Amino acid sequence: MAQAIKKRLSDDKKTLVFLSPTLIILLMFFIIPMVLTIYFSFTNLALTGSQAKNLEFIGFDNFTKMMRDPGLINSISKTIIFVFFSSILGQCLLGFLIAFMLKGKSALVKRVVGTSVIAAWVTPEIVVAFCWVIFLGDGGTLNLLLGKLLDISPIAFLFKYPMVSVVVANIWRGTAFSMMAFQTALDDVPVSVEEAAIIDGASRWKVTSKIIIPMVKGTFTTNLMLVTLQTLGVFTLIYTMTGGGPGNATMTLPVYMYQQAFVSYQLGYGTAISLVILFLGAICSVAYIKLLKVKI
Amino acid sequence: MNWKFGRKLVTMGMVSLSLVGVIATSGVGLISAQEKVQIEIAWRGTGESDNIKRYLEEFKEEFEAENSDIEIVLAPITASEGDYFSKLGLMMQSSETAPDIISEDTFILNANANAGYLLNLDEYVSSWEDWGQFIENIKNGVIGEDGSVYAVPTTTDSRGIWYNKEVFASVGLPEDWQPTSWDEIYEAAEIIKEQATDVTPFAMNVARVNGEATSMQTFGMLLYGTGETLYEDEKWNVNGEGIVKSLQFIDEIMNQRQLGPSLSVALNSTYGSVIMQDQLPNGKVGMVLDGSWNIGNYTEGAVAELEDPEAVLGFALFPTDEGQEPGTVTMAGGWSWAIAQNSENHEEAWRVIQAMSTKESQARRAVLEGTLTVRNDSGEDEAYTQKPFIDSATAALENAYFRPKNDLYPNVSIAIQEAVESVATGTATPEEAAENYKRAVIEIVGEDNTY
Amino acid sequence: MKTGKVESYLHHIILGIITILFLLPLLWMVIASFDTNAIQTIKLPDSFSFENYRNVIGDSTVQRSFLIGLMMSFGQATIVVILSLLAAYPLSRYRAKVKRPFMYTILFLTSLPMTAVIVPVFQMFLVFKFIDKIWAVTLFLVGTSLPYAIWMMKNFMDSVPIELEESAWIDGASVFQGLKSVVAPLMIPGIFTVLIFTYTGSWGNFFIPYILIQSPDKMPASVTIFQFFGNYGLVDYGRLAAFSMIYSLPVVIMYALSQRYMSKGFSLGGASKG
Repeated sequence: MAQAIKKRLSDDKKTLVFLSPTLIILLMFFIIPMVLTIYFSFTNLALTGSQAKNLEFIGFDNFTKMMRDPGLINSISKTIIFVFFSSILGQCLLGFLIAFMLKGKSALVKRVVGTSVIAAWVTPEIVVAFCWVIFLGDGGTLNLLLGKLLDISPIAFLFKYPMVSVVVANIWRGTAFSMMAFQTALDDVPVSVEEAAIIDGASRWKVTSKIIIPMVKGTFTTNLMLVTLQTLGVFTLIYTMTGGGPGNATMTLPVYMYQQAFVSYQLGYGTAISLVILFLGAICSVAYIKLLKVKI
Repeated sequence: MNWKFGRKLVTMGMVSLSLVGVIATSGVGLISAQEKVQIEIAWRGTGESDNIKRYLEEFKEEFEAENSDIEIVLAPITASEGDYFSKLGLMMQSSETAPDIISEDTFILNANANAGYLLNLDEYVSSWEDWGQFIENIKNGVIGEDGSVYAVPTTTDSRGIWYNKEVFASVGLPEDWQPTSWDEIYEAAEIIKEQATDVTPFAMNVARVNGEATSMQTFGMLLYGTGETLYEDEKWNVNGEGIVKSLQFIDEIMNQRQLGPSLSVALNSTYGSVIMQDQLPNGKVGMVLDGSWNIGNYTEGAVAELEDPEAVLGFALFPTDEGQEPGTVTMAGGWSWAIAQNSENHEEAWRVIQAMSTKESQARRAVLEGTLTVRNDSGEDEAYTQKPFIDSATAALENAYFRPKNDLYPNVSIAIQEAVESVATGTATPEEAAENYKRAVIEIVGEDNTY
Repeated sequence: MKTGKVESYLHHIILGIITILFLLPLLWMVIASFDTNAIQTIKLPDSFSFENYRNVIGDSTVQRSFLIGLMMSFGQATIVVILSLLAAYPLSRYRAKVKRPFMYTILFLTSLPMTAVIVPVFQMFLVFKFIDKIWAVTLFLVGTSLPYAIWMMKNFMDSVPIELEESAWIDGASVFQGLKSVVAPLMIPGIFTVLIFTYTGSWGNFFIPYILIQSPDKMPASVTIFQFFGNYGLVDYGRLAAFSMIYSLPVVIMYALSQRYMSKGFSLGGASKG
């Protein structure tokens, strides 16, 4: 079979036709900017100030500066916390659970639940951030409910529990993606295999863990990777909700990077920081694939 | 399938539409360029309540009537402060994108001058008789590190304590309140706290998200009020006791005595507008340490219009911590008009700036915006002197201090904001925050440049 | 899947709670948009009115920016779908050793935040005179969303059996025709997912148009709404809420329309099936 395709595509011209428009645009508007960005991280590029006049190549200076920078270490740890809790624990798990529970339910139930979860996903990021700022505010919906149901005075969530707030907001926002992925994966599990196992006397738990879960492993890995990479770059949500604060409480790498590049005008350094994000993404992806032993 | 083809058509249609749109709009530019010289003015737009826009629209009409060879193009950049500076920094790098005239905050003027973005105006001002009318002190703000003039000042401002007279009256505090020490501020605040329980006694900018406001309106005022400075003789102050004392004031108000606003108000990015446009005029906060330009909120047609601002509000000067000389202090900032180095119309741009800086035009701008004028003679303009609070705001300028003329100031400013916020939120004691500040500044400027 | 009665009941309760939890944060926005005196606290408006909506929709700047935004995002999303379909094909069908590292590298690069790339891009745009050109900005948006889109498309494509194509080829169709008439239709849920995903990405993108476009009248809706949210001037929360609702509308409509085609959700695990 592979040979048949090979024969079809060995006509180089055809393959090129398929790929060329993409390659051109990718090269021009993606690869080149990326390469330039990486180059700039080795310079002292600045938006203003005397450095802006003379662009100098400073080698690894930005990187050695990073190692002395307590703010960076803090950012890395905040990023790891944010990504772990909101994408791995949050979105993937929650998405799976919802998809799992929805299986076999009526179309109406699926519609209602699905729509409400997806409403969060399609709402633009800035609107999401804004809604959550108000939701968690002193006079917001959450405090109102807590006051009415449990009679506690308003809690300033964004300032007392900033990391929790942004993590929850991000989970809220992104779960739909995972949910939809798992829905299809679960639908693809042949009913016959399940029924056969049940007839053989396997308990529900065994059916789930030994049959269903292994079958969705592929989806799980891919999903995990996509969601992690996406979460690594989350900026608008956090910046609008907490600005990285209070203090450094939610200063993940993208927010820190923005602060260095555009508030302190140290673009070279900011760009170097963004490479750390890249690096983290690479580590995560490799880790997933190795740990879950799945072929892409 | 029809539908897929249809989609391709739609895409092509959209791309062509965009192309047509682009060509059309650029075509218009081409025609007018041949007839007149276009001078583009860029400033930080603030959306609907943009007083500068009002001023410039008036100015444009008058100027173009008298100068038929120049067309003024108003190109505001509507964004947050930080984004405005960033975008300008990018735009000024090439003649394609650089505006001709730029509204420069004196805060960043030095850095932009060093970067080569601004035209050196020494020759222009030396042959300009009006230059002598500008307040000497203020000229300081537009002179770069190399001693040359890089912009013409257009507004300045001072800072002080705004207070609500009605709140004061209700708790027995005087209408013409003028504290002479920090203790008196505490006293007044305690009285308000005790007797007017729904009112926040004292508010000031303490959040990192408020950026420069926190550095200047709060920390700057406090530090210079202790008699110390941020930067002197080309070295940065990191060991001074004044730093700790200033942070202690913040600690007292926000944590120890609980005289400040709740954190959800104080740390919110809307702090400024909420406090100055809503809470202060409506008597929900007693005193606010903030800038004189807030007058612009309460004038006719403004966003929080008050019929008689001086009946409702007062503006007191900020005292030194123990009443020592010079008695009161203020930080002074201000905006200016600069010409981009990469502008292709230096001569015409200068003519426009000259016209904007005449005695009348100056006064008009100050009146519309609520800022203080920078010319000695404009200060006598009737419409100007009749504006509420002009007296006190101008009086404050007598003991005015300016921000450090060093292009690492923006970085240090962030360290200031972090220190202030950490104390205000109770995550660090004043002493700890001062230590952190010292460490951060040393990292930014190098130990040799500190004292 | 057969589940016991008790378990099913439990599921329904949990699902119900989840639904409510998901709808709650949006509640304020919906209510406040009808309230001309809305504040940051949640409250019932004194009177329901469409004033806020009328205000926002009537604003010519808003109308213009919406049009531009729609053109940009829709144009971008469409181009991305077409290009990623074409690119995903050889990546999905053709076994090549260079494939895997290529795909991974491309994917890692997507985690680089836009704010890092923007300055070199600005300078590049200056050189090529792309500044202030909407089509160039659109193409840039295409470029940056392509990698993710290709990755997603490829996964969807993996789940389309090659046998179907083979039969088309036997019938005399070219590879391209096979793609068009056999593969693409089966990938409709995937296509729509990529479309919506890409559209949402650029619809909400503020920074790129803000930096790369000069003229205020060429700014898309994302920039306009950001200015609305800016921290200057007193915020009219009612208008803000109405603006947010309207701003979210295009994506919601797109999603609703594509519901028909997406009933099965989408497949990400093609490689490991059965």
